[in-house]
Amino acid sequence: MLHWEHKTGQKTFESPKGGKHNMNQSNEIVIQTRGLSKSFGEVKALKSLDLAVPKHSIFGFLGPNGAGKTTAIKLLLGLTRPTSGGGTIFGLDIGRDSVEIRKRVGYLAQYPQYYEHMTARETLRFTARFFYTGPKAEIEARVAETLELVGLAGKADRPIKGFSGGERQRLGIAQAQINYPDLLILDEPAASLDPQGRRDVLEVMERLRKYATIFYSTHILDDVQQVSDTVAIVNHGELVAQAPLEELLVGSEGTVYSVVIKGDPSQAHGRVVGQPWVSGIRATTAEGQTAWQVSVTDEAVAEATLLRLLLSDESVTVTEFGRKQYELEDVFLSIVKEDNNE
Amino acid sequence: MSSNSALQPVNERGWRSGFANLLRNENLEWWGSRRWLTQAGLWLLILNGMVTLVMFVTPAVMQVTQDDNAGAMDPISMGIPAFFQMGATALAIGTVILVQGEVVGERQSGITEWILSKPVARPAYFLAKMVAHSIGIFAVMIGFQSTVTYGLFWLANGDPLPLLPFLVGVGGLTLHTFFYLTLTLVLGVFAKTRRQVLGVAMGSLFGGMLLLNIIGRLGLITPWSLPNILPALVIQIPLPFATAFMPILMTAIWSIGFIAAALWKLSRLEF
Repeated sequence: MLHWEHKTGQKTFESPKGGKHNMNQSNEIVIQTRGLSKSFGEVKALKSLDLAVPKHSIFGFLGPNGAGKTTAIKLLLGLTRPTSGGGTIFGLDIGRDSVEIRKRVGYLAQYPQYYEHMTARETLRFTARFFYTGPKAEIEARVAETLELVGLAGKADRPIKGFSGGERQRLGIAQAQINYPDLLILDEPAASLDPQGRRDVLEVMERLRKYATIFYSTHILDDVQQVSDTVAIVNHGELVAQAPLEELLVGSEGTVYSVVIKGDPSQAHGRVVGQPWVSGIRATTAEGQTAWQVSVTDEAVAEATLLRLLLSDESVTVTEFGRKQYELEDVFLSIVKEDNNE
Repeated sequence: MSSNSALQPVNERGWRSGFANLLRNENLEWWGSRRWLTQAGLWLLILNGMVTLVMFVTPAVMQVTQDDNAGAMDPISMGIPAFFQMGATALAIGTVILVQGEVVGERQSGITEWILSKPVARPAYFLAKMVAHSIGIFAVMIGFQSTVTYGLFWLANGDPLPLLPFLVGVGGLTLHTFFYLTLTLVLGVFAKTRRQVLGVAMGSLFGGMLLLNIIGRLGLITPWSLPNILPALVIQIPLPFATAFMPILMTAIWSIGFIAAALWKLSRLEF
């Protein structure tokens, strides 16, 4: 099971390698919050959020519905005021310097709304003029380029009221990045899209990562696993995990190898479990095959020795061997479940 | 992000951040669509139709029907109250209907949130709407109509009316309409639904008329007596200073108060 340790109000990820991941170690932090909290009357929507989003990361902000993701995003953008705590984006205060921050940010709301009578081109032109005064030809070129990027060039001059959910979302992404933002904040960017639309959005995000930091909330864990490099999980308004995706997927059980063998495993089991670098074996048997989850304490030795050890035993045949990879969904659910039980 | 150095960044600061773009957009709503034409036609029909009716059609009908009062009727003394008194009320109703959904509708739909996620200062959002509507309403619903009305008065009178008193009347009409414009916009910032906006604004207009009949002195501190005073100012009937100018002064003060209240509330709104 993954282990989460409370540390001065923040839950810090403890990696299997023994090191605690501290986001402050990163040289360039784009978003930094300290004790960011928001209450609506008696309801605490966000409790002391401490985030650190590294530059050029695709930062997945995960949580179940109602966890406080949108509230956090609105606080970052100055659309809502914190009850306590605060934060910075590009080193600028999210409360005091909100307009300056928004000059360098692109935002896509969860349910984006635009003037229905406007066309996509008019909407992007209107958006672009919040950032640029001219020249007119350059603005038009940027609008056309952005429409092309999101695949709306063919529908550029149709009123938005006739757009499908997917087309609106594409327009949302277009308007969010028209100003060449240094930071893109996307609230559930792929939630209302079909698989093709989702793939397109992820592609756009991948393409933009070399220019911008992308902070996005989602509950589609497959997407996170595909594109994110860093992840934070919120539950009931509280940050329960924050770590690079790689570390999160490794799990806190340490390094675990997954082995499937045919034949009598008893001799092999004795040989493996007797190794000093093996901390445990969890075995299950099904359809004449035995599956082992071998936990090891020394990754390097295990990598060099474990398979060789198994292959040297002629009474078994190894049909599968590899380092166990956790699915983000497993990790997410276990963290949220653990948090709910606390 | 990689950028295009040929693009010139916006340099607005403070409360003006985003104002020019928002104003351009709001002006486009008036002048880039058929709105101005529709409103010009509509108010030509309502205001100058009413003036034409009382100054030209009614006397002609009375003459045809050989009404005894036909000769005693002075078209100008009927036209001025029709335009300035009834017109003030009609313009207030029209303004409330026209702008009722401007702020509250955008707040409800999420457009305000979208706009405020750009480098836009909150005062700029409100002021752009107020300025654009003030320009549109004044130009199309008051300025153009007043010019036509002045022509009709000239036609009915044979000579032009004294210009200055007429312009004072138009100024009063503008102020009265501006009061209901700012009231409706501020209600859009405070209220949660269009119905609330419409209810309170219309309640102020019609309730004020009723209250004025019960407590006459309310006319000194509200805009409710303005429609009654304007014809007297245009005809140049001498009025006590307080009766003539207190409602004008107070209407201006109320309007400024509404703007201040809207800006205060908007700075605290959460989206």
